[in-house]
Amino acid sequence: MRLIVDGQPIEFDAGDSALIAMLRAGIHPTGGGCLCLGGDCPHCLATVDGVSYTRTCETPARPGMIVERHPREGYPPLPLNNPAAAEEVKARNVHCDVAVIGAGDSGKAAAEEAERSGKRVITLDAKRGQEVVGVYPGPLVVARTPDGMLHVHPREDIIIATGAAEIQPVAPGNDLAGIVTARAASQLAAVGVPLGRVVAVGARPENAEATVADGQLIRFEGNGKVEAVIVRGADGNEKRIECDTVSVGLGLSPRDVLLRMGSGLAIRAVGNAAREPELPACPTSGVVCSCSGVTADDLQRVWDSGFRELELVKRATLAGTGPCQGSVCVPHIRSFLKERGGELQAPFTARPANRQPTLGEVAAGAHHRATPRTALDAEHRRLGARMDRIGGWWRPWNYGDTRAEYWAVREAVSIGDVSTLGKMIVSGPDALELLERLYPTQVSTIAPGRSRYVLLLDERGYVLDDGLICCDGASRYGLTFTSGGSSFAEMWVRDWAETWNLDVRILNQTMSLGAINVTGPLSKELLARAGFTRPMRHMEHTMATVAGVECRIFRLSFTGELSFELHHPAEQSAELWRSLMALGTDLGIKPHGIQTLLQLRLEKGHVIVGQDTDFDSTPRRIDMEWAVRLDKADFVGRQAVLRTNKAPLDKQLVGLEMDAPAPVEGAVIWRGSEYAGYVTSSAQSHALGKAVMLGWVKLFDGVLPTELTIDGRAARRVSLPFYDKEGRRARA
Amino acid sequence: MLALNRIHATRIVATPSALDSAQWPDDRLVFRIAADEALITPPMANAVVSDPYAIVVADSGFAGAWLPMEEALPLLEHACEWELPRERPAFAQGSVAGIPAKLWIEKDRVLLIVPAPFVADFEERMA
Repeated sequence: MRLIVDGQPIEFDAGDSALIAMLRAGIHPTGGGCLCLGGDCPHCLATVDGVSYTRTCETPARPGMIVERHPREGYPPLPLNNPAAAEEVKARNVHCDVAVIGAGDSGKAAAEEAERSGKRVITLDAKRGQEVVGVYPGPLVVARTPDGMLHVHPREDIIIATGAAEIQPVAPGNDLAGIVTARAASQLAAVGVPLGRVVAVGARPENAEATVADGQLIRFEGNGKVEAVIVRGADGNEKRIECDTVSVGLGLSPRDVLLRMGSGLAIRAVGNAAREPELPACPTSGVVCSCSGVTADDLQRVWDSGFRELELVKRATLAGTGPCQGSVCVPHIRSFLKERGGELQAPFTARPANRQPTLGEVAAGAHHRATPRTALDAEHRRLGARMDRIGGWWRPWNYGDTRAEYWAVREAVSIGDVSTLGKMIVSGPDALELLERLYPTQVSTIAPGRSRYVLLLDERGYVLDDGLICCDGASRYGLTFTSGGSSFAEMWVRDWAETWNLDVRILNQTMSLGAINVTGPLSKELLARAGFTRPMRHMEHTMATVAGVECRIFRLSFTGELSFELHHPAEQSAELWRSLMALGTDLGIKPHGIQTLLQLRLEKGHVIVGQDTDFDSTPRRIDMEWAVRLDKADFVGRQAVLRTNKAPLDKQLVGLEMDAPAPVEGAVIWRGSEYAGYVTSSAQSHALGKAVMLGWVKLFDGVLPTELTIDGRAARRVSLPFYDKEGRRARA
Repeated sequence: MLALNRIHATRIVATPSALDSAQWPDDRLVFRIAADEALITPPMANAVVSDPYAIVVADSGFAGAWLPMEEALPLLEHACEWELPRERPAFAQGSVAGIPAKLWIEKDRVLLIVPAPFVADFEERMA
């Protein structure tokens, strides 16, 4: 059986790991560094079947496996154009009281004890194919398994029973090949990997012939591969011992990387994972952290710069931030700091992941935020709409011919999907009180059957949202909000109702109700054909049947033309839409998308909150003080509006026009050579034959400038609206 | 392939005490989706609660599908990070496949409910 290492096939035996196969072939996976064969060190990392940073000591060899060694300097290449890396990885969630990581003696004992006390226990063990890659807040323990990722949710406790790791040598030459820990030497001997002449520094390997090098480890010598080890004996003399392999037995340190990830969680270690570490000699030379290439000299430099705490030394050197998360370097850095500072400091926090997951493994079980679709979504797509995410929903941007859509609204009739508008009912004995406190308008003067356009302000007097208040009676109101603002608006209304302890019921119907805007001079004729003939005044609302669908009809206008908004059960949206389209065929009906709607409303100077407003937009700054009744007793934002109104006006949202073409939204507005503001909405008006814009413009010496420059061309500030200044069309 | 259909229901927002004391017919599923809100399916033409200000509306804003328990559990194991209630029947709410969902769990089957505007994403994610 053979696997492929850097393009060359090599033999392996049954049961071999990829690492052992490489060592049989005389290949060190990373070129050098002490191998532990326990999954603790970073010295066997390689790219295996396209997955970088794989621990080859824990990876069973299989025929055809492709191993690519990482470059000694820099990083392995990204796995571009690797279809395997794009495969979906599933996540499975399991729940328990106690998660035990490690199924050795202490892990078994801990699991049995927990089970005896009636706990539901899940034990994870890498040897059984459950390789824990990280411990996260939640708490959540994430393990990689052959079937995908396992997300374990322990209610009470995480027990770390991962045993102890061997301390690695830090001395000059410790980055040579041919250096292994004592346990590793035993394992290699047991499976017949030729080790040549073995010299043991510290504890001897259990089943390997070795010459014991008594004394303190001074350095390793060799050219790429170790050829000799130098120790200082009790007599103070250095002794050079030639060898092919150095087995290093410097003691044990708790394998606590997962414990160190669980800061703030109910997590504890048992068995050897909880043991006191055997502190190695203070490092004086050589590589301390091979993940980040940090040497003993680097530690000295940051110490000399004043870094005294382990966490700060970690940040200053990046020691412990690599794939092994301090498994190798922590004992040595603690020893270094203890010798200089006299105090043994606690190990630093480890960060997930302890085993390098692929992007697919990281993404397993995770979902991006879903974008809702209106009940007319399929209808729009059937009509060839270009769909886009707008205001948090999938909406039709256009249906292919925006000019035709535009003129259908201005001269015939058109329908648009406005189901995304926020829609809420507020009922209760305190409903009026709630709305009076929330809104800057005099809500009590809205008669039943009437609606009013309103602003919603925050405590600082800035514009949060806008919409309608529709009165259904003294104790019941309908509210509408912008598409993008409806979720926040619901929280806002509920929060204030609770804060003020008002007796109200609140129902958000945004997702339950569809809404179709029927707009254009022939809209009344279209509704008459659909069975609705009752005359309605502007800003009136009523219940009626339209084309067989029970609707709440609002007479209002966002486009500047005669318009009716039909709110109805969402399940009947497609039926209503199709009926209206069929009834309006000879009236020139066309659906209009958001692109056209934005242009139509811009011609009327209607503001879109979030596009034309900014985080500090007051009613005065957007020139809508008419929507604020400061003679009301109180409302959210009133004090702030009174206060800010005392300050001189510094900028205002204004109407601008210029010759075609329309500048891009965001274009800078200049007054001579001075910055004056920026454009928030811009379109080429088909009806007016010029570019029309909304934009923020600064006042100069208390005066709004009239003559401006945008894109190097002359622009003029004009009064709003641009289109149908008398409002005759909307109120027809 | 999971296929959800609109649920015809009655939605009631009323004081918690009015909902607590309401009598519901045995042939309806009544989900208490909030302390002050109930979703009743099939819809009730004349739902009455002892709250004169209650909001009682017909609602088709949710979609759902019944799944046999043996199909539902593996799906939920993958899609649901929170622990399902162990009692039967049980009503639970939370994120399933990243979408706000409601579960009605009976002994042998589960009703999955999501807001209708999320049906397409939900079906795709549960496939």
